[in-house]
Amino acid sequence: MARNLRHLNVGGIALLVALAALWQLAVGASLIDLDYLPAPTEVVQAGVEQVEAGALVTATLHTLGVALAAWLIALVLGVALGLLLGFSAAARMVFTTSVEVLRTLPVVAFVPVAVLVFGLSTRMEVVVAAWAALWPIVINTLGGVEAVPARLHEVAAVFRLSGARRIRSIVLPAAAPLILVGARLGLSFALIVAVVAEMIGNPQGLGHLVIRTQQALRTEAMFAGILVIGLLGVALNAALLALTARAAPDMFEPGKRS
Amino acid sequence: MNVSARMETPALMARDVPQPAAGEQRALGYSCHAVGVSLPGPQGSRKVLAGVDLEVAGGEVVSIVGRSGTGKTTLLRVLGGLLPADEGTVLLGEQAVSGPPASAVTVFQDYARALLPWRTVRRNVALGLEGRRACGRAERERLVADALDAVGLGGRGDDRPWRLSGGMQQRVQIARALALRPRVLLMDEPFGALDAMTKASLQDELLAVHARTAPTIVFVTHDVDEAVYLGDRVLILDGQPGAITDEVPVSLPRPRDQLTTKEHPTFLSLRHRVHDAVGGAHGA
Repeated sequence: MARNLRHLNVGGIALLVALAALWQLAVGASLIDLDYLPAPTEVVQAGVEQVEAGALVTATLHTLGVALAAWLIALVLGVALGLLLGFSAAARMVFTTSVEVLRTLPVVAFVPVAVLVFGLSTRMEVVVAAWAALWPIVINTLGGVEAVPARLHEVAAVFRLSGARRIRSIVLPAAAPLILVGARLGLSFALIVAVVAEMIGNPQGLGHLVIRTQQALRTEAMFAGILVIGLLGVALNAALLALTARAAPDMFEPGKRS
Repeated sequence: MNVSARMETPALMARDVPQPAAGEQRALGYSCHAVGVSLPGPQGSRKVLAGVDLEVAGGEVVSIVGRSGTGKTTLLRVLGGLLPADEGTVLLGEQAVSGPPASAVTVFQDYARALLPWRTVRRNVALGLEGRRACGRAERERLVADALDAVGLGGRGDDRPWRLSGGMQQRVQIARALALRPRVLLMDEPFGALDAMTKASLQDELLAVHARTAPTIVFVTHDVDEAVYLGDRVLILDGQPGAITDEVPVSLPRPRDQLTTKEHPTFLSLRHRVHDAVGGAHGA
């Protein structure tokens, strides 16, 4: 517990609190007099009301579920595709151009297409969010496979490790730090795109809550939704880091030789 | 000098080699003829080895010395099946080498890069057993424990390799090879990065392993003293492209000793001869 507390970024949190206080003061003293800018206290109050009414909890669970489902699909497909590209020169020749084109297309441009194909549904949302999460995972897995030192491949050859065993015992662990980078980026992308898809497609979740409250001019509730989206992103990233630190405590330590 | 004529009688050279203990697998040797290798370089293909003839008897310890750039490592990679020869034949026993043979294990110089940092010492040593044999878990644990004991690391099985000193890390790599009970050990300047004292104790451990199980050992080094101290024969690799230009039989008795062997007049004269053959400079 004490160890966790030490990991808290005190300075960073102090800055956030100071900014919120400044915002509160500015609105309270009418230094900023915008019709649609609520004070932080009003945002928190609206958030509490939304939670009590159940809308915020339902929306959060929906968005969280979509982001996680999309991320898991992207993780499985992305690592598999990254391994394929990393191992097969033929696959690289066939797919690289497509990957480069597809990954640079802004994913939001696909949302209208996905709406036509899948309708205003959660399925549409999962598809576009998974699509967005897929590419950083593919690219980083490929990078990780390519960065496996030649010496380790020779060790695998000397010990006559078969293809599957070579992947499991050598390539995946050696590439794991980069695959994790891809997984973290993918998780952020999945959340962002899920919210966007809710804003312009599927009428559920936090994205839709923000749009709905904005159109009803309930800006304090709108800001409460935005706040929860931000907290969700931070929490998901922290959870993923904690999970990998527990699953493989030594994986990222070789730099810290004692 | 007619090197090849002498090399046609490897049995003579291997006369004093310790015989494998009863129950051990039959010793296995190399027979290479007119081996040539070209490697891609900045100005197209470059010939690294040409016309290499090499006979290594089963159970023999052969040192290969040469200045840097003469293709020592390349030759060892060819023997280990990590690099195909462009010309000539490479036989291990009766079999042509195409890919790493099941009975030979290569030990690399750069132990830090050849070990898996995410695995414990014990699981590093078990790596070869996972891939190579259908041996049971109990059998595997026994082989790993034996191999760690053989290099004096019995108590360090649960450490990560990067927590160990350089000499201990190289011991882990040697244990990983020994766990397979290989009939051939191919060693590429394995002690080149270690300090003198660590180097001496690892040399003696290697000789102790050889005295017990008599694997065939091909030992590449640029250290003349080490080549003479370890070997039954010293081969000199020289030229560009590299070829075996000389061969020095080592008639020193075994077991060898860091002090008495190295004070032996024969050791000193062999050392002198190898030094000259390699083209080493004499200090002014």
